[in-house]
Amino acid sequence: MGLEESLPNGILLANVEKLVNWTRKTSMWPATFGLACCAIEMMTVGGSRYDVARFGMERFSASPRQADLMIVAGRVTNKMAPVLRQIYDQMPEPRWVLAMGVCASSGGMFNNYAVVQGVDHVVPVDMYLPGCPPRPEMLLDAILKLHAKVMDEPINAKRAQLQAERGDRTELEASSEKYAPAGRGQRKRAERQQQAQRREMGAEGRLGAPGIESAGKNDSPGEDTADGRQSGTGHELGAGR
Amino acid sequence: MTVAPETDTPPVPEGYVRLTVDGRRIDAPKGELIIRTAERMGVVIPRFCDHPLLDPAGACRQCLVEVEVNGKAMPKPQASCTMTVADGMVVRTQHTSPAADKAQQGIMELLLINHPLDCPICDKGGECPLQNQALKHGRSESRFRDTKRTFAKPIPITSQVLLDRERCVLCQRCTRFAKQVAGDPFIEMLERGALQQVGTAEHHSGQSYFSGNTIQICPVGALTSTAYRFRSRPFDLVSTPGVCEHCASGCSQRTDWRRGKVMRRLAGEDPEVNEEWNCDKGRFAFRYATATDRFTRPLVRDRSSGELREASWTEALRTAADGLVTARDARGVGVLPGGRVTMEDAYAYSKFARMALGTNDIDHRARVHSDEELEFLSSTVVGTAPDAGGVTYADLENAPAVLCAAFEPEEESPIVFLRLRKAARKHTRVFHLGQWNSPGVEKTVAVAGAGGPLHSGDLLPCPPGGEAAALDELPAEADEALRQPGAVLVLGERAAHVTGLHSAAVRLARRTGARIAWVPRRAGERGAIEAGTTPTLLPGGRMVTDSRARADIERAWGLKPTMLPDTPGRDTGGILAATASGELSGLLVGGVDPDDLPDPALARRALERADFVVSLEMRPTVATERADVVLPIAPTVEKSGTFLNWEGRAREFAVTIESTGSLPDCRVLDTLAVEMDVDLFTQTPAAVAGELERLGSHDGRRPQPPDVPASPAAEPGPGQVLLATWHQLLDNGSLQDSEPHLAGTARPTAARLSARTAQEFGVRTGQHVTVGAAGGTVTVEAEVVDMPDRTVWLPTNSGPSKVDRELGVGHGALVDLAADVPAPPGAAPASPDPSRPDNPAGPAVQEGTAPTGSRRAGDSGGSHSEGSRA
Amino acid sequence: MGMFDPLKGFGVTFSTMFKKVVTEEYPEVKKIPAPRFHGKHQLNRHPDGLEKCVGCELCAWACPADAIFVEGADNTTELRYSPGERYGADYQINYLRCIGCGLCIEACPTRALTMTNVYETADDNRQDLIFTKEDLVAPLLPGMEQPPHPMRLGDDEQDYYVQGPRLAREQGVPEDETVETGPEEAR
Repeated sequence: MGLEESLPNGILLANVEKLVNWTRKTSMWPATFGLACCAIEMMTVGGSRYDVARFGMERFSASPRQADLMIVAGRVTNKMAPVLRQIYDQMPEPRWVLAMGVCASSGGMFNNYAVVQGVDHVVPVDMYLPGCPPRPEMLLDAILKLHAKVMDEPINAKRAQLQAERGDRTELEASSEKYAPAGRGQRKRAERQQQAQRREMGAEGRLGAPGIESAGKNDSPGEDTADGRQSGTGHELGAGR
Repeated sequence: MTVAPETDTPPVPEGYVRLTVDGRRIDAPKGELIIRTAERMGVVIPRFCDHPLLDPAGACRQCLVEVEVNGKAMPKPQASCTMTVADGMVVRTQHTSPAADKAQQGIMELLLINHPLDCPICDKGGECPLQNQALKHGRSESRFRDTKRTFAKPIPITSQVLLDRERCVLCQRCTRFAKQVAGDPFIEMLERGALQQVGTAEHHSGQSYFSGNTIQICPVGALTSTAYRFRSRPFDLVSTPGVCEHCASGCSQRTDWRRGKVMRRLAGEDPEVNEEWNCDKGRFAFRYATATDRFTRPLVRDRSSGELREASWTEALRTAADGLVTARDARGVGVLPGGRVTMEDAYAYSKFARMALGTNDIDHRARVHSDEELEFLSSTVVGTAPDAGGVTYADLENAPAVLCAAFEPEEESPIVFLRLRKAARKHTRVFHLGQWNSPGVEKTVAVAGAGGPLHSGDLLPCPPGGEAAALDELPAEADEALRQPGAVLVLGERAAHVTGLHSAAVRLARRTGARIAWVPRRAGERGAIEAGTTPTLLPGGRMVTDSRARADIERAWGLKPTMLPDTPGRDTGGILAATASGELSGLLVGGVDPDDLPDPALARRALERADFVVSLEMRPTVATERADVVLPIAPTVEKSGTFLNWEGRAREFAVTIESTGSLPDCRVLDTLAVEMDVDLFTQTPAAVAGELERLGSHDGRRPQPPDVPASPAAEPGPGQVLLATWHQLLDNGSLQDSEPHLAGTARPTAARLSARTAQEFGVRTGQHVTVGAAGGTVTVEAEVVDMPDRTVWLPTNSGPSKVDRELGVGHGALVDLAADVPAPPGAAPASPDPSRPDNPAGPAVQEGTAPTGSRRAGDSGGSHSEGSRA
Repeated sequence: MGMFDPLKGFGVTFSTMFKKVVTEEYPEVKKIPAPRFHGKHQLNRHPDGLEKCVGCELCAWACPADAIFVEGADNTTELRYSPGERYGADYQINYLRCIGCGLCIEACPTRALTMTNVYETADDNRQDLIFTKEDLVAPLLPGMEQPPHPMRLGDDEQDYYVQGPRLAREQGVPEDETVETGPEEAR
């Protein structure tokens, strides 16, 4: 990628790498590539309710030259594939691709002659996001996971080789667990907000399935999980109502 | 359909009756069942027990219709599957009669009372006639609120068929099939009333080669397959029509597969060939193609280490081509394609041998063979087909008499057996020239007809090796029967064991007017003859020695005149002997297992001695162990092609599982030839088929059939007996590998001898006997049956009884017989190391266990990793 | 146009500062979706831990995207994974095909397959998004035992299907609790 290729490897460079990656992840501008229904959800993410600007994605760039991340939102037809590739080629490096929704990821339910069976047939994909369409939180989750990957990206070929030798892979953690509030006060506030959401959704009590992850924490009873439930089943919550 | 006014109606044709079904007039042949007449009109009456190939039973009562005869309505609805049409009859089905509809719904409700309704876990779910008809003709809700009758389940009927009595609707299709079609009454109806159930005898043999058909005709999920149990559901399967690759019967079949893997095979429907049946081998033996030891990449022998290593196609083809060119230019290369190739692949071998190797040293017969047989094939067999005057299945069925010589239909061509049995149930007299009343013989000569046992044909016993002489002097009864027009003489491939048998058959045909059918065992044999993989024949039945025929081929192949070799080549035995003695330098081997050859030791010597061996194989064999280059080829499911069945009928099949990357033999040979600077133009089976079509068959004169005097059977000396042997359907063949459920229904391996012989040698049933010859010995259990004296019968390749490999002699040879002293309990000799099944270190291991030298006594599991491709 | 009109705009901005924030604070506060949300699947268990899935493939049949692959197998007395004869030996859902329509849930005859509220499923390769049985099967709750094990609640599968909840309560599972996703199952 230029100068950094010829830099020596060492402690200094490791920190430079972190700094460079941090700058890249904190101002990653997406190119608009809305193709179908997923694009509606993608637009919502840009709106005030989900406000993707919180993560440094200030604007959806309508020109590929000013974009770092291509969110392919919707099924890619065979006719659209060369256009998509051209847009991708016009984006400056470093660049990333997020396949949003099952159609972009694998063709989804459109297993037919017209639809490309996964956008990775055309461009390299860094993050696959299932869902039909994925809700905005899922897109945020995917973007945050991509951020985590960007943070681990090697700065030059030598470090890439070292990383490959170590066999390191970025661990992709669910964002709500990774960014769960640490402080007690913040946790209480989050729980209050979730209670309100439950009320709004009619999800009080035991209705709704316990997540496998949260239910899996049975071995440490009483510990508050990120979603504010206890012991997976929400049993105590229901009893307290 | 317009109904013409009464006055204009044409007269009823002779032998027909006129009736009305659902208000429409129709003429039906006398004796037709109402349900068939309705079917012809497009009126579907629901049914479970009715099957067009089985006798009517009227067991399920689902097909009730209202019937009016002579203007009078019958008091109750009648079962349309048992009632024949009559003149002036008025039939009202569920479409026009509320009474019939109500009756059918009532029957359905009764059938469902004890049905467990476990469709989600039932293998039949999704293709179940009961399910479909319950939705179509049944009530939407059950009124039954009681406890259902339950049975223990599932119970195995054979090792490959499981019975769930709760689901059974007692239609008796399976029991009728077993009794009428297969002739193996392995299941029967037991008990009465509400407790009536399908069952097996307590000590039943459970043995049938056709039991898989009961699974297919069961209209509910009562009979299911052990191998297929819970593996997949019909709606997730892709069904591809195909042709069975196991024997020369040429059954059409349906292959059900998903995600690149065959899940099950079913009999296809072809009224001219297999009707709706197939044998268990064809149905259940298909996992050899997914065996883990299958070759996926070419192998080349590493020069330094001497081991086979994986190589690229480019390298392997280059190495093979270089080696073959060197060997060809040295002393020549012999080609052994094997009997399992498709006609297209055989043609490629034929063309490769003639064009790239410039030789007629090619023979597909990886079995016993003789020059007399070759003469017989090129005079009598090649070029015959159903549309060219050949004997067909229908001819067998309609023949007044059939004589099987050197042919055991049930073991060697099961669908021919079913046809013979069907014929015998009607009027045909089936004679067998053989040694003992084997199950297959019994079931075709004494058949339970509609009115009790019917003795139609007979076994004409003769000593092994004496078949030719016996044909020349047939008993008057058989001779008379064969003189009737339409009589057929069926000759098996093992006729080559007996000198003069082919000639005797031709003489008999001339004498009586009977037609000759030749039935080989392997699927590719018949097509290979047409494709020219014999030392004396070019494609299309053209003789190598006929200059006009050679010119034909030279023109078609774009060769300059006189480029084709004009002298007959060596046959399989000749090629191997020449290689072993150094007269030939190289071998190109297809699907040949040396242990199937009459002299396996010679084959091993030849493979050792050859300078260069190229093997086209799917899985490891003795040939690939020795080969310098192994080129992987596609199994039948992964390629397209044509098998000619014994009738000469082309049985074409398309690729079942696409894009697996495996290549058919013809493609591999084409590329190999290109490396040798020769263009075969056999890239695809379709291209080959086109070329074969253009070539056509030879219209010149056929050579004279052989006329070899019949040789008498050998005279056994003291301590000696004559050996009779043939292959059993289920044996050690490598195409049946990794099918434990199928192997469970193989017939037990036993030596058969007559009571007198047994007494003479002091053998009792159940005791082991050792049969010895120059090559070695075979020790198996003895069974006393009715057969000529001083004769012992052994299965050719079942369990420990590997006649070719262990004895090195064949049918009609003199062998030594000795009774084994029963081994003391617990001292059974341990099985030899399975990785070295041909471990010759017998005496050292088994000293003292049996004074007669029971070298193979412990080797009874039949669990060898290798086996022939029989 | 008045003189103070330009300031009115600032007024709006100013007053909004005191209103409730509409922006959701995901990921710090995890969004709770509606109970009907079609999230990741779960393969449920009977109260003794045996699997409910019988491997009937009806879910695979119902799936419009062909995202589900099931292969059944035979329970034996030594290795029992579900009551009855049949269990799902291989169960895979390809989440890059699954459109979350829920037809599989409706097709399931034993209510073995239900959907959870888990939605954070993004991943960086296609392989890991094919969830296998290990990923899908429900966690073991108290009183459950990892299959294979014999039937603990009754003698045959009928006991499980007809009176499973009652037998479970007799085994000490709390009144209003099953491994199912809703209270209606406990009745």
